[in-house]
Amino acid sequence: MPTTTASAVCTTVGNNILLRLTSGERDVKLKALRELKNQIIGNRTKKLSFLKLGAVPAVAGILSDAVSAVDVADNDENDRIVKDIIVQSAAVLGSFACGFEAGVRAVLDAGADILIQRGCLVEEMPLLKSYMEVVDAGARSLKMIYQSKMAPKYDFLQEENMEFLLSLLNNESENVSGLGASIISHSCKTSLEQKLLFDAGVLKRLTSLLGGSLIQRDASLESIATIFKNNPEVVSQFVGPDTGRTLSCIIEIVKDRFARTRLLASLCLIVIRNASPCYLQDVGIKTKLINNLLELLDDPGRVGDEASFAFSSLIAEKEDMQKLAFEVNGVDKLYNHLQKGSLHPRRFEGILLALADMCSKLECCRSRCLSLQVLKLVVDALAHDSSDVRSAACMCLRSVSRSIKNLSAGSFMNETIVIPLVRLLDDTSTAVQVAALGAISNIVVDFTTRRSTFIRLGGVKLLVQLSKSMDSTIRLNALRALRNLIFLAEDKCKEEIFMELTASLLASLICDPEPSVQEQALALVRNLVDGRINSVEYIFAEDGIILDAVGRQLRIASKAEIEIQGMYVLGNVATGKESHKEAVMDQLLLRAENKAQSCIIKFLQSNDSRLRTAAVWAVLNLTCSSSPGSSGRLVKLHDAGIVSHVKNMVNDPCLDVKLRVKTALEQFNSFDDSLASTSCLQFLTVRAVGELSHVVDPSSKEEESIANYFRFSMKKNKKKKSTRTVKFCFDVPADSL
Amino acid sequence: MSKKVITREEWEKKLNDVKIRKEDMNKLVMNFLVTEGYVDAAEKFRMESGTEPDIDLATITDRMAVKKAVQCGNVEDAIEKVNDLNPEILDTNPQLFFHLQQQRLIELIRNGKVEEALEFAQEELAPRGEENQSFLEELERTVALLAFEDVSNCPVGDLLDISQRLKTASEVNAAILTSQSHEKDPKLPSLLKMLLWAQNQLDEKAAYPRINDLATATLEDPAI
Repeated sequence: MPTTTASAVCTTVGNNILLRLTSGERDVKLKALRELKNQIIGNRTKKLSFLKLGAVPAVAGILSDAVSAVDVADNDENDRIVKDIIVQSAAVLGSFACGFEAGVRAVLDAGADILIQRGCLVEEMPLLKSYMEVVDAGARSLKMIYQSKMAPKYDFLQEENMEFLLSLLNNESENVSGLGASIISHSCKTSLEQKLLFDAGVLKRLTSLLGGSLIQRDASLESIATIFKNNPEVVSQFVGPDTGRTLSCIIEIVKDRFARTRLLASLCLIVIRNASPCYLQDVGIKTKLINNLLELLDDPGRVGDEASFAFSSLIAEKEDMQKLAFEVNGVDKLYNHLQKGSLHPRRFEGILLALADMCSKLECCRSRCLSLQVLKLVVDALAHDSSDVRSAACMCLRSVSRSIKNLSAGSFMNETIVIPLVRLLDDTSTAVQVAALGAISNIVVDFTTRRSTFIRLGGVKLLVQLSKSMDSTIRLNALRALRNLIFLAEDKCKEEIFMELTASLLASLICDPEPSVQEQALALVRNLVDGRINSVEYIFAEDGIILDAVGRQLRIASKAEIEIQGMYVLGNVATGKESHKEAVMDQLLLRAENKAQSCIIKFLQSNDSRLRTAAVWAVLNLTCSSSPGSSGRLVKLHDAGIVSHVKNMVNDPCLDVKLRVKTALEQFNSFDDSLASTSCLQFLTVRAVGELSHVVDPSSKEEESIANYFRFSMKKNKKKKSTRTVKFCFDVPADSL
Repeated sequence: MSKKVITREEWEKKLNDVKIRKEDMNKLVMNFLVTEGYVDAAEKFRMESGTEPDIDLATITDRMAVKKAVQCGNVEDAIEKVNDLNPEILDTNPQLFFHLQQQRLIELIRNGKVEEALEFAQEELAPRGEENQSFLEELERTVALLAFEDVSNCPVGDLLDISQRLKTASEVNAAILTSQSHEKDPKLPSLLKMLLWAQNQLDEKAAYPRINDLATATLEDPAI
C-alpha cells in the first residue's frame, strides 16, 4: 500500500477543513470545527498532521473572534451559533493539548489557554456563563493543558489568581472544580505556595469534594497530597476537628472500589504521614497501607505500575515499616510480580526499587531475597533497555549486598554479577554509572579476597577512569569503590591498583575542588598505606607528592571528615620506618600561612571526638618507645606545644580519646625514666597498640560485626604482632563513617 | 460422607424467615435498567415505584444513542456522538478508540467497499498500530479480512458477527458510564453469581431444594 496516497488524501481532507475554517459564514465554520474535532480526537497521527498545517493558531483565532462577538450578541440564534463555535473550538484546542506535547506547545504559543479562560470561565461573561456547555468545554480543555508538564506556571502569589482558583473550586460543575484541583496538583511546587493555599482555606472545599463523584474524589486526593507534600510546617497546622474528619474520610477511601482511587488515597496518607511525626503512626494504619499497596500491585495497568513507587515512599528509610512489610510477606509478593516476566519498564523499575528499599536495612529481607533467587532476575535487569531499570537493578544489588554474611561467603563476587556490573561503568547514563558504582562499592568488600576476579575483568581500569570524570558525583563514587576495593587487599592486588591509579592522580584527587572527593581520596590513601611496612612506601612515590598533598590539605581544610582521614593517613605512615616517621613530623611541623601553630593542635582541640582520636593516634605512633628516633621527635613535638596539649586532654569526655591520651602520656613518661627491664613487656604492649592504624566506628552495627570478624581472623595470624581493627565504608549515607 | 438432607418444607420455612426490603429490590431493578440503558422503562418504573435512579435519566438517552449507533453499525455517527457527549473519552481511551476504528473497518468490508476499506486501514488503523504496539495483533487479524474472497467463512470471520458489534457497543457504554462516575456493571449479575457460588458451596454439605434455572428461579427438590 503506497503511503504517499494515504498522506496525500489526509492533506487534501486537512486542507479542505482548514479552508472552510476561514469561511466568513458561521455555519460553515462551525461544521468545519466539528469535523476537525472528530478527526483529531484519539488520533495522535492526525493531530500531528493538522498541527503542521497550522490548525491551532487558526482555531485560536476563531475562538478569539467568537469571544469578542459575544458582546455584540443581538439575537438568540446568533448567541447559539457563537456559543457552539466557542464550545467546539475549545474542544479542538483541548484535544490538541491532550497527552500530546507538540500540541500543548502550539496551544500555549497561540495563547489559547488565556483565551479559553477569558472566554469560558471568567465572571464578566454572564451571557455565556449561562450555558453550562461553554463552561464545561472550557474547563475540560484547560484541565488538559494543565495536566501537561509544559503547562504555564500558575502564579498563586497573585491575589486575583487565588480568587479565580477558589471560584473554580467552589463551582458546582465537576469539570470546573476538577480544573481547580488540577491546577493545584500540577502547579503547586514550593512550600510558600503550599502555605498560601492552605491559608486560603482550600482544604475545606477539597475535603467536601472527597464526597463527590469519582472524578472529584480523585482530583481532590491529588490536590490534598500536593499541598502537604514534604511540608511539615503546613501539616503541623493541620489540627482541629476538621483534620480528624478529613483524615478518616481519606482512610475510608483507601478501601474504595476503584483501584486508582485507592492508590491516590494511599499516596495522600503517605504524604501526610511522612511530613508529620504524629499523624497516622499507629500500627493499624501502617498495616492497612502496606497491605493495600501490595494488593494494588495486582492491577495490570498504570495503577499497578505506580503502586510500587508508592510502596517505596511508604517504607524508605523506615525500619519499622520495612519490618511490618516483611512480616506480611512483602518480599515474596514483590518477587512474585518480578517473576511474571515481560514487565512494563515502569513496573519493573518500581518493583526493583521497592525491593531495594525493603533490603536497605534488614538482614532478614536480604536473606529472603537471596533464598528466593531474586539475584538472577536482578542481574538480568542490569542489561535492560531502559536506563531507569538498569539503575534500579543496581540499587537493588547495593541493598542486598549489604549482607555481611553473604559478602563474607563470597556470594557476590562471581562473574555472572561482576561482568554486567562492570559493563555498566561505561553506561551512557550518568545515573546508571553512579548506581553501578554504589553496588560495586559494596561488592568489592570481599572477605575471601577474591578481588582478583574484579581486577581481571577490567574493573580497576574503569574505576580509575571514572575517578577522572568531569562529574564530581561519579568521581566521588568511583573513589569510594576503589577505597573499599583496596581495603586489606593483598600486596599484589594493591600494586596493580596503585599502578593504574598513579601517584599524581591520587595527589590531584586529594586536592580536588570538591571536598567530598578530597575526603574519599584521603580515605583511599589511608587504606592504601595500611598493612605491611612496605605499603607505606606508596605515599612516597614520585618524590612524595601524595604525602605533600595530604599535608597541604590538612593545613587548609575546614571540614572535619577531611581532617580525620588526613590524620589517619599520617598516623598510618607513622607506623613505618624511621624515615617515614620523620617525614610525618616534617608535615606536621610545617605551618600554614598566617598560622602560628601546627594544624594538629587545632585538631586536638576540636569538638569532634573522632578528630581528636585521630590526632592522638598520630602522636602515639610518632613517639612509640621502641623506635630510636622517638625521643628526638618527642622533643620537637614538645617544642611545638603539641605535648602540652595532649597532656591537657587527660580527662577528655570521650573514652576513646581518654584511653589513647593515657597511653601517650605513659609513652612520654617512659622517656624520662631509664629503660628498666621490668618495663619491657609494657613497652611491647604499648608499641603493639601504637600500630593500630584503623578504628572501627561502633555507631553502625554492621561495621561492628565486620570489625569483630576481622579481630578474630587477625588474631589467628601469628605473624602480625598487633590486632588490627579496620575501617572502611559501605555505601551508606554520609553520616556514618 | 453423608450430607444433611433438607426437605422442601424446611427450606421454604427458612426462606420465609429471611426479610428482604422492597426498597432494596426496587433499587436493584432501577440500577439494572439504568446501567443497561432502558430509559423509558426506567422512567416508567420511577413513576410507578417512586424509586429514584442514581444517575440523571437524561444522560442515559445520550448514552443509549451511542450504543444503538454502534449496534446498527453506524460507527462514525457513534464517534461523533461520544465526542459531543464528552470529548475526553476517546482521547483518553486508546483501546476503545482502536476498537471503534476497527469496527468501522469491519463495516466497510461487510458492505463490500473494498477500496474504501483499504484506504481506511492504511490511513486510520495502521497509525494506531504504530502508536501502540499492543494493538498490532488485533490489527493484523482485522486487516486479514481483506485478504479473503469469502469473508464469512474465513478464519477471522467471527469479526463480522453481530456479537462483535455488541462487544464494541458494550465497551463504549462502559467508558461513558465510567466518565460519568457511574459503575459500568449492574449489581444484579453479581448477586446471581453469588447465589450460584453459595449453592455450590452448600452442595458439599447438604442436599436441599436448589435453584437450577435462574430465569424461573423455581426450587427443585433435592435428588435423593
